[in-house]
Amino acid sequence: MKVGQTKSQFVAVASIAAELSAVMDVAKEISLAAANAKAIAFRAGEKAKGFQPITDFINELAKETIELVEAINEHALSLYQLTVDEHRMTDAYNKFEAVSALAKDTAYEDSLKQPMLKAHHNMTECKRDFKSNVAQLLEQLAEVMHPARAARVIAANSRIEASQAGEYLQSLQAVAESVDNAAQVIHDNVQRCRSALSVVNLTE
Amino acid sequence: MKMTNIYEGSYQWIMFGRDENKPDKIIDTNQYMVRTANRCLLIDPGGVELFAPMLAAVLHYAPVEQITDIFASHQDPDIISSLGLWDQALPDAKLHASELWEGFIRHFGCESIEYVPIADNGGTINMDGVELQVIPAHYMHSSANFNIYDSQAKILMSGDVGAALEAPGAAMFVDNFDAHVEKMRFFHQRWMPSNQAKRVWIDRVRELDVNILAPQHGRMFKGDDVKRFLDWFEALPVGIAV
Repeated sequence: MKVGQTKSQFVAVASIAAELSAVMDVAKEISLAAANAKAIAFRAGEKAKGFQPITDFINELAKETIELVEAINEHALSLYQLTVDEHRMTDAYNKFEAVSALAKDTAYEDSLKQPMLKAHHNMTECKRDFKSNVAQLLEQLAEVMHPARAARVIAANSRIEASQAGEYLQSLQAVAESVDNAAQVIHDNVQRCRSALSVVNLTE
Repeated sequence: MKMTNIYEGSYQWIMFGRDENKPDKIIDTNQYMVRTANRCLLIDPGGVELFAPMLAAVLHYAPVEQITDIFASHQDPDIISSLGLWDQALPDAKLHASELWEGFIRHFGCESIEYVPIADNGGTINMDGVELQVIPAHYMHSSANFNIYDSQAKILMSGDVGAALEAPGAAMFVDNFDAHVEKMRFFHQRWMPSNQAKRVWIDRVRELDVNILAPQHGRMFKGDDVKRFLDWFEALPVGIAV
């Protein structure tokens, strides 16, 4: 494995953690916006009747996003451990190859064969685990995109419902706006995670 | 990597060092191995950069599966940062090192190798009937530090005590003690923190019958030069940076 590749793996996995932390914050903001919207819709009564079920839906989406991000975070942590393991195994194998070259014609050079085979096996297993974990993580990240997309649709519906809420129009439009923005931020952050991971996944 | 037999009896002591291919900016180190009938103890096996030449050199004397034990005098990277690589090569080996440093040394990677913690008062390592004493050398220079003493070979592996910063390719043994002193002075004054610890160590070592004092850097001391070193060290104030 090239040094640059290892570095890019470490950086990619670390940057995922940072992006996910931002996603988590935004999902919590959505949840707060949903609670706020619910209160406004309650005060608006009949005028915001169509808005009330939307607030519940926004809240559900926020909860779903938070749960998904928690699961992904856990997965990203184990991916980090795999990155460390893979780095160690590959480094060990490369060093064993160097030993093998230096140990030519020594009395016990043959005794290196078994550890080398084992190191090669461990390295291959680690690389395979890493790739399969990256693929799983990419799937999980794709899942987070679904509630984010749904949130944008809901934001559009919210704007329509808000337009019928009389004096509550501005407050409810602000809620719709904040959900829309938050969904966009989540979409962008998750997209960055996926791009970072795709680069790692493609590197051999 | 140069290899020098420093004791030849029913078992061997081998010193490894003066690696010509060592990167310039890392300090030169001496590694030691006690080779008994079926086992080998690597003493301060060195840093990551040295792993390949060190293992290749060991293969002149023993097969990989007979490297059963590693000893780390303390936690420094030039002593034991190669641990993660030995861990891949020697799944059934034991690492003998201070109990105080366990949580730190494990950062180098110690999944397969068994960490055998050494209590502050030292202990013994038995290699096929050869009993090696683990002598406390705390604060010399590390806060938890040990030396290895072999009463049969009369060798004291003294870690950083007796170390000297030498030009590449230096001789294996001190041949002119007076000329050697200046290569040791700053190292001992700056790295050794405690005059009290120094006195305790000197008293302890004077009780031992030492023919070869084998430090981790620079030349080894033999015969009368061991006593010369102890006398010089006794008179030297250490811990000068405060």
